[in-house]
Amino acid sequence: MPVLNSVYRHREFGDTLTSLAEYERAGGYLGLQDALAMTPDDALYAFHRSGLRGRGGAGFPMGRKASFLPKDTGKPTYIVVNADESEPGTFKDREIIEHNPFQLIEGITIAAHAVGCERAYIYIRGEYEHQAQVLDSAVEQAREAGRLGPDALGPGRPFDITVYRGAGAYICGEETALLESLEGKRGQPRLKPPFPAVAGLYGCPTLINNVETLAALPPIMHRGADWYAAMGNEKSPGTKLFSVSGHVMNPGNFEIVLGQTTLRELIYDLAGGLRPGREVKAVWPGGSSVPVIGVGSLDVPLDYEALNGVGTFLGSGGCIVMDDSGCIVRASWRLAQFYQHESCGKCTPCREGTGWLAKILGRMVHGEGRGEEDIRMLESLFGRISGRTLCPLADGAVMPVQSALNLFRDEFVRVAEHGSPRPVPMMEAPVG
Amino acid sequence: MTVHELDEFLAPLRPQYADPRSLILPALKHVQEETGWLPPDAMATVAEATGFSQAYVESIATFYDRLYVEPVGRRVINVCVTLSCMLRGSDEIFEHIADYLGLDGEGTTDDGMFTLHKVQCIGACDRAPCLQVDAGEQIGPLEPADATCLIDDLRDEPAPARYCR
Amino acid sequence: MADQGQSPDIVTLTINGRQVTAPKGTMLVDAAKAVDIEIPIFCYEPRLGPPVGACRMCLVEVEGMRGLQTACSTPVADDMVVQTESEVAKDAQDGVLELLLANHPLDCPVCDKGGECPLQDRTFRFGPGETRTLEPKLHFPKPLDLSPLVALDRERCIACYRCVRFSQDVAEDGQLTFQERGDHTEIATFSGDPYEGRFTGNTIDLCPVGALTSNPYRFVSRPWDIKNTPSVCAGCSMGCNLEVTERDNEVKRLTGRPDPNMAVEEGWICDRGRWGYPALRSADRIPHAVLVDQVGRRGVLLERALAEVAGMLINRDLRIGVLLGDPVTVETGFLAQELAERVGDGRAMVRRTGIPGHGLGPLRALPGAQMDELDAADVVLVVGGDPASQQPVAELRIRKARRHGARVSMVGPRPSALDDACEVLRTTPGHLVDAIDVMRDRLLGSSRAVVLWDEADLAAEPAAAAALAELVAATPGARALEMCADVSGPGLRALGIPAAGGLLQAIEAGHIDVLVTIACDPTAGPEGTRWATALEGVGTIIEMGAYVSGLTDRATVVLPLLTPLEEEGVLVSMAGRAQRLRPGARECEGAAAAWELLVALTHRLGRAVPDRTPSQAFSRLAQRHSAFAGLDYGALGTEGAVIAPVEATGADAGTAPAQPAGDGLLVVPCRPVFGDADAFRSDALEPVREPARVCLAPAEAERLGVRTDARVHVRTPHGEMVLPLEVGSRYHEGAAYLVMGDPGTAAERLLPMDGGAVRAVVGVAARQEVSA
Ligand SMILES: Cc1cc2nc3c(=O)[nH]c(=O)nc-3n(C[C@H](O)[C@H](O)[C@H](O)COP(=O)(O)O)c2cc1C
Ligand code: SF4
Ligand code: FES
Repeated sequence: MPVLNSVYRHREFGDTLTSLAEYERAGGYLGLQDALAMTPDDALYAFHRSGLRGRGGAGFPMGRKASFLPKDTGKPTYIVVNADESEPGTFKDREIIEHNPFQLIEGITIAAHAVGCERAYIYIRGEYEHQAQVLDSAVEQAREAGRLGPDALGPGRPFDITVYRGAGAYICGEETALLESLEGKRGQPRLKPPFPAVAGLYGCPTLINNVETLAALPPIMHRGADWYAAMGNEKSPGTKLFSVSGHVMNPGNFEIVLGQTTLRELIYDLAGGLRPGREVKAVWPGGSSVPVIGVGSLDVPLDYEALNGVGTFLGSGGCIVMDDSGCIVRASWRLAQFYQHESCGKCTPCREGTGWLAKILGRMVHGEGRGEEDIRMLESLFGRISGRTLCPLADGAVMPVQSALNLFRDEFVRVAEHGSPRPVPMMEAPVG
Repeated sequence: MTVHELDEFLAPLRPQYADPRSLILPALKHVQEETGWLPPDAMATVAEATGFSQAYVESIATFYDRLYVEPVGRRVINVCVTLSCMLRGSDEIFEHIADYLGLDGEGTTDDGMFTLHKVQCIGACDRAPCLQVDAGEQIGPLEPADATCLIDDLRDEPAPARYCR
Repeated sequence: MADQGQSPDIVTLTINGRQVTAPKGTMLVDAAKAVDIEIPIFCYEPRLGPPVGACRMCLVEVEGMRGLQTACSTPVADDMVVQTESEVAKDAQDGVLELLLANHPLDCPVCDKGGECPLQDRTFRFGPGETRTLEPKLHFPKPLDLSPLVALDRERCIACYRCVRFSQDVAEDGQLTFQERGDHTEIATFSGDPYEGRFTGNTIDLCPVGALTSNPYRFVSRPWDIKNTPSVCAGCSMGCNLEVTERDNEVKRLTGRPDPNMAVEEGWICDRGRWGYPALRSADRIPHAVLVDQVGRRGVLLERALAEVAGMLINRDLRIGVLLGDPVTVETGFLAQELAERVGDGRAMVRRTGIPGHGLGPLRALPGAQMDELDAADVVLVVGGDPASQQPVAELRIRKARRHGARVSMVGPRPSALDDACEVLRTTPGHLVDAIDVMRDRLLGSSRAVVLWDEADLAAEPAAAAALAELVAATPGARALEMCADVSGPGLRALGIPAAGGLLQAIEAGHIDVLVTIACDPTAGPEGTRWATALEGVGTIIEMGAYVSGLTDRATVVLPLLTPLEEEGVLVSMAGRAQRLRPGARECEGAAAAWELLVALTHRLGRAVPDRTPSQAFSRLAQRHSAFAGLDYGALGTEGAVIAPVEATGADAGTAPAQPAGDGLLVVPCRPVFGDADAFRSDALEPVREPARVCLAPAEAERLGVRTDARVHVRTPHGEMVLPLEVGSRYHEGAAYLVMGDPGTAAERLLPMDGGAVRAVVGVAARQEVSA
């Protein structure tokens, strides 16, 4: 089971890199140096060749997205870094920002060179105030050292970064809602097209990427796109951080080479396995918005295609594990409550549907279910919500519940008839 | 906070944004740091300093969970109750804290010291069950006893000069 | 495949198996509508700006596109194949309706919108028929008053964004917003303040459910009891189209038109126009004819009064004057002219109230614009006046022009609600000409400029009028739009009817024996005191009016009139658009339309009357007056037609007024939205009425030694009165801002009839004046 810890430098280095000097000692800014030696187009092409895919959830090839940005529009080009990380079960961007903010800054600077950008914004969720302060300090250090500012991309080629704090809204992770929020509007998704690449922030061409995506750029530039592409497999190259949480002994982030580690290895070998006597019952492998899978799928290799093969998504890599002490209906209800709370309210199926889902599941859990009738109601509701909304939040609300119902129908029927007693939680302090 | 003071805070931010609308959120957060929440006159101040209508500013403020348009206690205790935390006992931690504070679920203590909230995932599932005091560092994993100590410590702390929420 | 030879801007697609062509950029929902395929919508409303795609009601299937598409935001494309009624599309529409109803109260029987509710209609046509929600619905606190005029029931709101977009993006008042998030989203004003504005009622028209309702109309009628008639608002010269709701012979409601006149009001109306109708049943409505004879003063039947009047007019030696007020239709003006030719040996004088406008000829000769030309303008220049208060809906069109990229500037002496939307050049009164000079380069550099100019202000500053006319004429592509002071002015001028100055002189010279007034009271207008004195020498006054006026007690005969909401005929808007009034109700059984009275009189005078209807009168006037040549009454439809420009003739071609001499402050006349007579007669508008007053800059007030809470004495060469004082930094020094309109005060009397500038001496009022 290859564990590389090679892309996110603090992992290889084995320590936190929050001062610029430390970061440079650990090989920081060599990637930018190499990138600046290339033309912007060559840098873009290198992104492309590396095969790096977006780590925010959708897995869209990063180089391709960057190449969509029109040039010479007469308008500024912006980079917006998605550090909203609000997907339940996901906390990888937090680690990068806390432990290795400069690698992110360097990555953004490399992207700025490639797409011709003078200002980037890091949109960080409001709950990450502590992490935002780490970022502030890093940006300030970089500025003092001239790595940001008037000559950041070479003499006379300015580039700077603004850290923008959110204030508590999951939907602001959706890229167009994020842009709205950053523009000072209510964080509600926009109709697409136009896509942000063409008309993003303030109507200008905008590259939006996740923290983990951009932080992968420095090693890609320094060690080479081919080095990166050679890891993993053809469609899922490189390494990815997985956040593992829930009923595991050793929750945390793990960097693995895509396609070469199985879900079972991630849970048992890296995350410390389960409590004695417990077995895996359900796993949401890519954050809470992906279909849940059962114990039968544990041997799936962790890469985009293989996970699709077992009916789910790699998503953000936020892997939530539930053992056989847990109630799948209660878990689904809890997630439905999350989506009800986080629906922005703009479009009907999501605004009304997420609340309806949560109400039905809540009744079931509390012993007020109506047996098969509720199950049928749930099933018809899924179809009335998903695929009909303005943004994918609502699909994300339906998928985990719908998949749970498919996988654990008997348990749903039982709970719809008898309710679900509250289980004994796993309270032991995790190891490590 | 006066409009003038807020203007001074916003002055260095202005050139960073192509549209002054972007200043509303930073301004609201900054103003909230002073009183801990956003009474109508605070929102009116933001409206004046940024040049947008009061109603507009309020519509922004009410969109976000961490901007408070109702009064809150000196410290806001945010207990995460989303799936990963639930699996590790967040409901029990929440109830324990509520009991200890003499609250029936979410709410503010009579002495105005604490507001207890259930919140959605705070991005620290590796520390589940976890909580956040105001917007401080995510704390966990918690046992009921840890939570009790934490509250006792907070009670002894002087009120923060500026709230960071 | 697109047909050969078709313009590249037209695309051909298939909707439900039918071939459809539509211009590029058309949204699917509109392309479908053009061939009578209805795709249900809620949030889509192009007048509010680009689609938001929020309600998801309009989901349809488009071949080759993944998932369902919102027809409101998907532009047509060549070879597109669309299904709006397939099983999948039907299920989506049905599903959205079910979800919309999940939290919607099922109180249609008691809801004001019931019976004319898009949500209800669509549920019948596209929906499930019954809802399966067993979950408790969300509850919001009780319905509340968003303002004295608009009520909000948040439980019924379906968050379609329309009202909020209207407030934010059309009226740009910023007051109505969404608060909270998700299923708790609600519309609200800042911390529950009342929604204040001049256009708030449009949110009621826009609301597709019963969430926003009209307070004055609440629980007044049910849709099956009412009749709706399209007509035109006679509240100002803008000429907005509206719809009159009638029940039991009463006007119960006015709304914007469902099929708006895009060249005029685009479906918006102002709150004064919307809620002025209760005036029709106010206490000072004249209910029946009144006659004064040997027996005394008494009410009589209209027939009897008409016979009496005919008897008075039949004497060929009498010298007769007819004064037309505001608003009167062109048919009324024309029939008055014809009557005049048949009485008093054909020497009767027909005159109109309003500004003579000497010196405005060159401005009126400029190429004219319609309101919709503002949409494509690159420069919009407003000279004088204040459209925001005098032609309110023009404000919305000017704001839209700005959103479309026009540079908007406003020059003139008054503070305006439009100030936030344009570059403002506030002039000292009397100095418009300098401001026009400042705008010179801006205008000359434009290619599609529209210049809106105020009739009253430019009449008062002839030098400015000349300069502006010359500048606009020199600007290629520029067009001018007059903001008229009165509603009837454009129509009556087109009939060649001059202003009243000559008539007053004739009266003063003792040359008038009988004066017939139609919808006016000159004693309450400019130089009203002089009129009052002069009228003492007139033997017989015959008043035709809808409301009690200063003449009513003096008149020998009073003939009750119907109001524009009750009568038929044509009004010409400030943009020269002839539009039809249609009687929406008839509140006053004893009253008649002015044209009817004129026809009846002519008939009684023993003349053949060819005209028995406004339509016949109109076709004859169209033959006689070149401005109306070629227009056909029937063909005016609900769009209207633009009349030809008129050349100033006869008595209106006099000399422009001179600049005022003497001391005192220059008077800036101001006419607030909620300040006209209707606003004072309508009880609905009571909370927002704006009383007459004088406004001064703080320094000016200090210099004059007057205090804010005081009443002040105001004197011009035309009269004097005591008025409340308002002191505000919005006002310029060196001027007295005279807020007029309040019929009880009739501050207009202080102004000159020639429309010229005037100075006022403002001072502390004597004690007895204040208590009086
Ligand atoms: C409801 C919703 C929430 C999202 N939240 C996040 C998030 O917190 N962080 C993130 O990087 N992407 C999030 N995304 C994905 C973004 O929309 C976007 O695809 C991503 O930022 C692009 O960056 P990438 O290509 O580097 O992954 C979210 C998407 C949706 C629909
Ligand atoms: S799907 Fe939900 S979150 Fe997305 S736009 Fe619609 S209401 Fe908002
Ligand atoms: S009408 Fe299309 S989404 Fe509302």
